[in-house]
Amino acid sequence: MAFNLRDFGANIWAKSNKWQRYLLALIFIIAAFSLPLLEKTFFNTPNTPFVSVLFYPIGLYTLMALGLNVVVGKSGLLDLGYVAFYAVGAYTAGLLGASLKLNTWEVMPLGIAFAMLSGLILGAAVLRLKGDYLAIVTLGFGEIIRITALNTPAIGASMGITNIANPPTTFGFKYDLDHPESYYWTILIMIIITIMAIRILSIRRPGRAWEAIRQDEDVAELMGVNIYKYKLWAFVFGAAVGGAAGVLFASESMFISPNIFKLEVSIFILAFVVFGGMGNIWGVILGAVLLSYIPERIRFISDARMLIFGLVLIIMMNLRPDGLLPRKKREKIKSDKKDS
Amino acid sequence: MDFSVLISEFPTLTVDGIALGFIYVLIALGYTMVYGVLRLINFANSEVFMLGTFASILVATQIFSYTLESEPLTGFKLVYTMLAMLLGAMIISGVVSVLVEIVAYRRLRAVTSNRLTSLISAIGVSIFLAEGVRILTSSAPMGAPRILDKITLTTVFGADIRIDILLVIIFAIILLVCLDLFVNKSRLGKGIRAVSMDYDTAKLMGININKVISTTFLIGGLGTGAAAFFYVTVYEVTVFRIGFELGIAAFTAAVLGGIGNIRGAFAGGLALGLIEMYSSAVFGTQWKSITAFVILVLVLLFRPNGIFGESLQQARV
Amino acid sequence: MKNNKVVAFASALIVAGSSAASIAPASAETVLKIAYQGPLTGPEAQTGTDGIRGVKLALKIYNAKKPKIKVEAYEGDDQGDDALGKTVGAGIAADPAVVGVLTAYSGPTIAALPSYKAAGIVIVSPSATRVGLTDPASPSYGAPVFHRIVSNDDLQGPALARTATTGVKNPTVFMVSDQSSYSEGLFASTKAALGTALEGSDKAAKGTTDFSATISKVKAAKANIVIYTGYYADGAKFLKQLRDKNFKGVFAAGDGVLNSEFPKLAGKRQSEGARLTAPIVPLEVASPKLTADFKKEFGAAPGVYTTEAFTATNMILEAITKGKTSRADILAYIKAIKYKNIAGVTVSFNEFGDLSGSGLMNSFVVKSGVIKLNGKA
Repeated sequence: MAFNLRDFGANIWAKSNKWQRYLLALIFIIAAFSLPLLEKTFFNTPNTPFVSVLFYPIGLYTLMALGLNVVVGKSGLLDLGYVAFYAVGAYTAGLLGASLKLNTWEVMPLGIAFAMLSGLILGAAVLRLKGDYLAIVTLGFGEIIRITALNTPAIGASMGITNIANPPTTFGFKYDLDHPESYYWTILIMIIITIMAIRILSIRRPGRAWEAIRQDEDVAELMGVNIYKYKLWAFVFGAAVGGAAGVLFASESMFISPNIFKLEVSIFILAFVVFGGMGNIWGVILGAVLLSYIPERIRFISDARMLIFGLVLIIMMNLRPDGLLPRKKREKIKSDKKDS
Repeated sequence: MDFSVLISEFPTLTVDGIALGFIYVLIALGYTMVYGVLRLINFANSEVFMLGTFASILVATQIFSYTLESEPLTGFKLVYTMLAMLLGAMIISGVVSVLVEIVAYRRLRAVTSNRLTSLISAIGVSIFLAEGVRILTSSAPMGAPRILDKITLTTVFGADIRIDILLVIIFAIILLVCLDLFVNKSRLGKGIRAVSMDYDTAKLMGININKVISTTFLIGGLGTGAAAFFYVTVYEVTVFRIGFELGIAAFTAAVLGGIGNIRGAFAGGLALGLIEMYSSAVFGTQWKSITAFVILVLVLLFRPNGIFGESLQQARV
Repeated sequence: MKNNKVVAFASALIVAGSSAASIAPASAETVLKIAYQGPLTGPEAQTGTDGIRGVKLALKIYNAKKPKIKVEAYEGDDQGDDALGKTVGAGIAADPAVVGVLTAYSGPTIAALPSYKAAGIVIVSPSATRVGLTDPASPSYGAPVFHRIVSNDDLQGPALARTATTGVKNPTVFMVSDQSSYSEGLFASTKAALGTALEGSDKAAKGTTDFSATISKVKAAKANIVIYTGYYADGAKFLKQLRDKNFKGVFAAGDGVLNSEFPKLAGKRQSEGARLTAPIVPLEVASPKLTADFKKEFGAAPGVYTTEAFTATNMILEAITKGKTSRADILAYIKAIKYKNIAGVTVSFNEFGDLSGSGLMNSFVVKSGVIKLNGKA
């Protein structure tokens, strides 16, 4: 029998009791928070500061991959325009943050709200389309957002928005260029919250509906699942996560411009999700971390980075088509009497 | 919004739109035919196009030793040089297209039914090829020697008809007619249509699926290669990124016309070429891509099979 | 499956091997670095290449004198892209050996500014001309670190307008920008200077291949002058298509188009007579001797901002020669510098980071596929 990392991990989890599980989770979390310590080891990335790489691209892309995973992985909706929500969050932070004099934490709910709104509008319009048509329309939407931002002088056009404020000092953690780890820890917290939210939703009705939709839409509809409503849920959830990532990105970067929100970003995040193992949270995290870390690590072969990235995608998809950590065959259901 | 330009320059815009449209049509073939048989968005087709453009230019500069300063050719020399460039582009594009299928998609067909996996593999191929060329060219654009002098032959309703534009249009029509005949009349063509309609039944009926699929990729590649030659003839420059920029437009054209069939590619490509020209004139060139996407979204919402789409798959729930 | 283990093992080997290669040996002597942040690859690579060569020539001459402190070049490739500019800038600022940086393009400079400001590294830019970088009212104000030894677009805009309209009866101008931050800045400045002569405009994003619609608009406006405010790769495509569609009027552009590749890509016949402006002096004009050295060292002719990159590097080297080795010291030195460049002109900076005194703006014209200096603009 081949060594299956996912089953290995799942077995350990299944065999542990409640206290062991808490301990395992705690160890994992502490390990994740301590990653900045790896800066002095060979994990260090040449040319770019390691801890800021942990935030961007690793942390941000992992968060977005988790969001896209709900849309693509769990619900089977092919979204090629995910970067649009990222852009909405970032521009909200840039524009409203300055004009309403809000700091990052205050503008975060607004950024998420606007992203969710755009997810709702886009979803309502296009979610009746199937499969690849949905993919193209979402791709178009992503490009429409970018080009509109580029052509609109009121929001900066090509010059973008500069001087976006860093988050204020919170609980004693400073957010400036000398403390990149604050950003990393913040995104880690956001990732943990997202994981918890996904797990809760997965076990309950939305998760069951998503799984049904993913496996066979027509059958699901016949069985009485309101597929339109749950598709919209998935879309809006994914949009919320993307928007949150955008807000944090804008306040770290202090400068955003339309050409940051290219189609390539959507494609990369999709690649991370599929590479890691669609539908599987841990697979997606592993995929996102590996695929955003490795190009930074091998920067010294700098010119050939993307070439190797393409090669890795081809090889991985051919050797392990279901991703690094494929999803379980069946999602766990929580039998919940009051939920039926 | 300024309609005055659209009105005063309408003939010129129309001719330009048709010329650009035919290039889109030919590239769209690579997407639409593969989608028809495999339901796969062949992302790598954009790089098939890009490689074809480089092949075309290299034929002129390496085999015939022309440079950017060379004088345009005439007579017999002109004809055989252009044919060589056309063949060079078509051969390279065709071969690459078939290779891509074998390397990146074939194994996946047998191993998994998850189409997203093939999509990511396609994306990997696209990135690999584009980056490979980027490194080889140090990201610099490559100019093409002027083989065909851009003489204006005649003026129709005030629009200048240049010889290269006319050539593109005529050649493209001939190619499309041949292709249409092939798909509708030949045995292999029937095989392609059979597989497009029902993969499993076609297999059961004894059709050699691999042969059909390879042929599809080959034809798509040849068409894309021809587009590459026309592109080089008209614009005389290429760069490693050109595939991506034109690929998205061509793909949009394929969907607009109704993905999966050749007539759809024809309609979609021409429509897109014209839409881009007209909207650039009215709204400004910076809005041309958005106009295309908005029209695409509207078409898909209200006429989901595209302008010409046959019901290849249910597009609506 | 065996495959997975092989893949895993192979990738582990690659990572381990690469890490071994990247551990730098400890160096005994002090080596400082001067960084060049610009488009070393990408469609604008020629500009970056011309710039970094100017830096390297200056360093070669300096190191040949066997000084106590060797200085090396740090190549920061941002491909002219804003997002990359930010990450590359952060990397440059994080390297403690870097004591000064030359930034090429305005957009990436602005993106990288926060890192440079926080690290207190002096910027002496040979080519970033966006006005906002030295304007206290602008969000992209670069003080206290940003300096440039070229005149900014406030000067280039009117110069471009003048150059384009000289000798043209009833000038009717059509302007095109490529929507990059540099292009939009120059566009605005030139537009203001043109006044009523401007008849129409269009924006064609960077990477556009087909300019047919734009050209139709030029014809509809009955323009006899076209001004393009973008970069050379697209500018060449545009000019070629303009001429091939029988536009007989004047073509003018700014320093983004000034590049040896421009006449080649546009075509000899099509580029004949094109008028360009740039706040630079070609190295061939400034110093024939250095040009010969340059050609021997790099096997190619010097390019657009070579002279300026050379001068900027030498300014930082002068500070190092005078014993300043910390970032703060070098920044202070540059602020107060009075440097005599190879043309014999004394250069110093005002409090905003611009050159003090009236600026330099030259005009150029393309003749027989070669860009020639055509006097002051």
